Amino acid sequence: MEKEEVLALVLEAVEEWNQQAEDEQRLEISPETRLLGRNSKLDSLGLVNLIVLVEEKIADRYGVHLTLADERAMSQERSPFRSVQSLAEYAHLLLTEKK
Amino acid sequence: MTIEFMLDVFRENRQNEAIIWRDQAYSYAWLLDRLAEWQAALTEQQVPAGAVVILEADFSPNAVALFLALIEHNCVLVPLTRSVEAKKAEFIETAQGEVRIVIDEQDQVRFERLPYRADHPLYAELRRRGHPGLILFSSGSTGKNKAALHDLTGILEKFKVRRHTKRTITFLLYDHIGGVNTMLYILSNGGTIITVQDRSPEAVLAAVEKYRVEMLPTSPTFINLILLSEAYKRYDLSSLQTVTYGTEPMPESTLKRFHELFPHITLQQTYGLSEVGILRSKSKSSDSLWVKLGGEGFETRVVDGILHIKAKSAMLGYLNAPSPFTEDGWFVTGDEVLVDGEYFRILGRRSELINVGGEKVYPAEVESVLQEQPNVAEATVYGEKNPITGNIVCALVRLKEPEDPKAAALRLKKACRAVLPAFKVPVKIEFVDEEMYSERYKKIRLRP
Repeated sequence: MEKEEVLALVLEAVEEWNQQAEDEQRLEISPETRLLGRNSKLDSLGLVNLIVLVEEKIADRYGVHLTLADERAMSQERSPFRSVQSLAEYAHLLLTEKK
Repeated sequence: MTIEFMLDVFRENRQNEAIIWRDQAYSYAWLLDRLAEWQAALTEQQVPAGAVVILEADFSPNAVALFLALIEHNCVLVPLTRSVEAKKAEFIETAQGEVRIVIDEQDQVRFERLPYRADHPLYAELRRRGHPGLILFSSGSTGKNKAALHDLTGILEKFKVRRHTKRTITFLLYDHIGGVNTMLYILSNGGTIITVQDRSPEAVLAAVEKYRVEMLPTSPTFINLILLSEAYKRYDLSSLQTVTYGTEPMPESTLKRFHELFPHITLQQTYGLSEVGILRSKSKSSDSLWVKLGGEGFETRVVDGILHIKAKSAMLGYLNAPSPFTEDGWFVTGDEVLVDGEYFRILGRRSELINVGGEKVYPAEVESVLQEQPNVAEATVYGEKNPITGNIVCALVRLKEPEDPKAAALRLKKACRAVLPAFKVPVKIEFVDEEMYSERYKKIRLRP
């Protein structure tokens, strides 16, 4: 599968998150959107929710059950949860490994 | 005679109905006769005093009479029902059963010798006292089923004070502390036991109508099923005065809904454990989860948010686990409670508590909100490990009618968000088709 395809799934997940989130936690639907740190609108619970939505989308599309948030993700030098783009890249990496 | 006080009650109530079983009434006169017959039969069958007797039965005339006869014979009773079928062999071995009595669905009784020798030190203590015993297996939701041995003399003590009794369905099972308590309470006060062979909402409410039942001791899960099935619309429940609930936390939404439908029925919370017995309790009101607990022979205290109980009639100990009592005799229930003056509010098992980024989530509170939503039949909430927030809240939901799962999950999350703080809102919602309760009408929980 293409990186773009995974990115599109993550963007869909962001859209879905926006449907249930409080106004102040709604995110711009863009690869550059920050998910972590000072410039992010998400708190840790929001991040967890978004990650689970991405996992569900990936399971629906590829039939693969990934755990995006685990020790490995947490111990990366640069967090894969920095932005929509980096989350999509990390998901793509895990998917490629599984195939 | 351990049950002499009960026999007095029986003699005063000779003409009255003691048991209703399969449309037939059995009087206290019948019970007195049958009790004497079983006492003779136990001697004839050479069941020695102090023997450990496995009693496989559900509530029936002979199951009641034999229970009492075995008490009088100073035996150790091990009631087992069909709900533990899969674990029966293990339980019999743990209890070191010496004699097995099987009472079938036609109330026919069969005796059998078993190869075990009951040489557990706790049995020796009971025989030294010359008292009858009772073994109750804990539900084992936290792992193995623990066998709690009670001195029945202690359990019976609280029934010596005469109280008002109502026509009552023995809904809780024959091998459960709640079922045993219901039976002994009714008999000690000359009341009527109404048995049900089928514990579905339809069958139970049909029995309420037919036998003008006044009291139904049950569980929150079963009350939810009554509401869901709408079985209450098909039967006349005007005789029903009291419904009691215990064995698991009550979702507030279920309580309020039932109370709105039946304002004339008193809802009363009960509290007890296999290890300490059933406490006396008094709910603040029918739609309140606050309850007074205690009564003669019970002391309570709260340490670090957890309810502790000291009971005069507590068990001697477990047959298959170390003593759970503190050095000064308190039992740590594991139930997290709030306290307001004399009242307690039971929040749930600490072991089931979900810690989300340092905040506490009790599954019952979230389940209550989910079960209030349209098209939700039942919901079970549990925690799942997560490296970002420690744990996340997850829910399994059974819907009444088919619905697109994505849309349903979104709808339920939004509904939760509207009334709960964000950390209590389920992150994952999965849908299941199977019912999520046990044969004891208790929610089956998943653990983090």
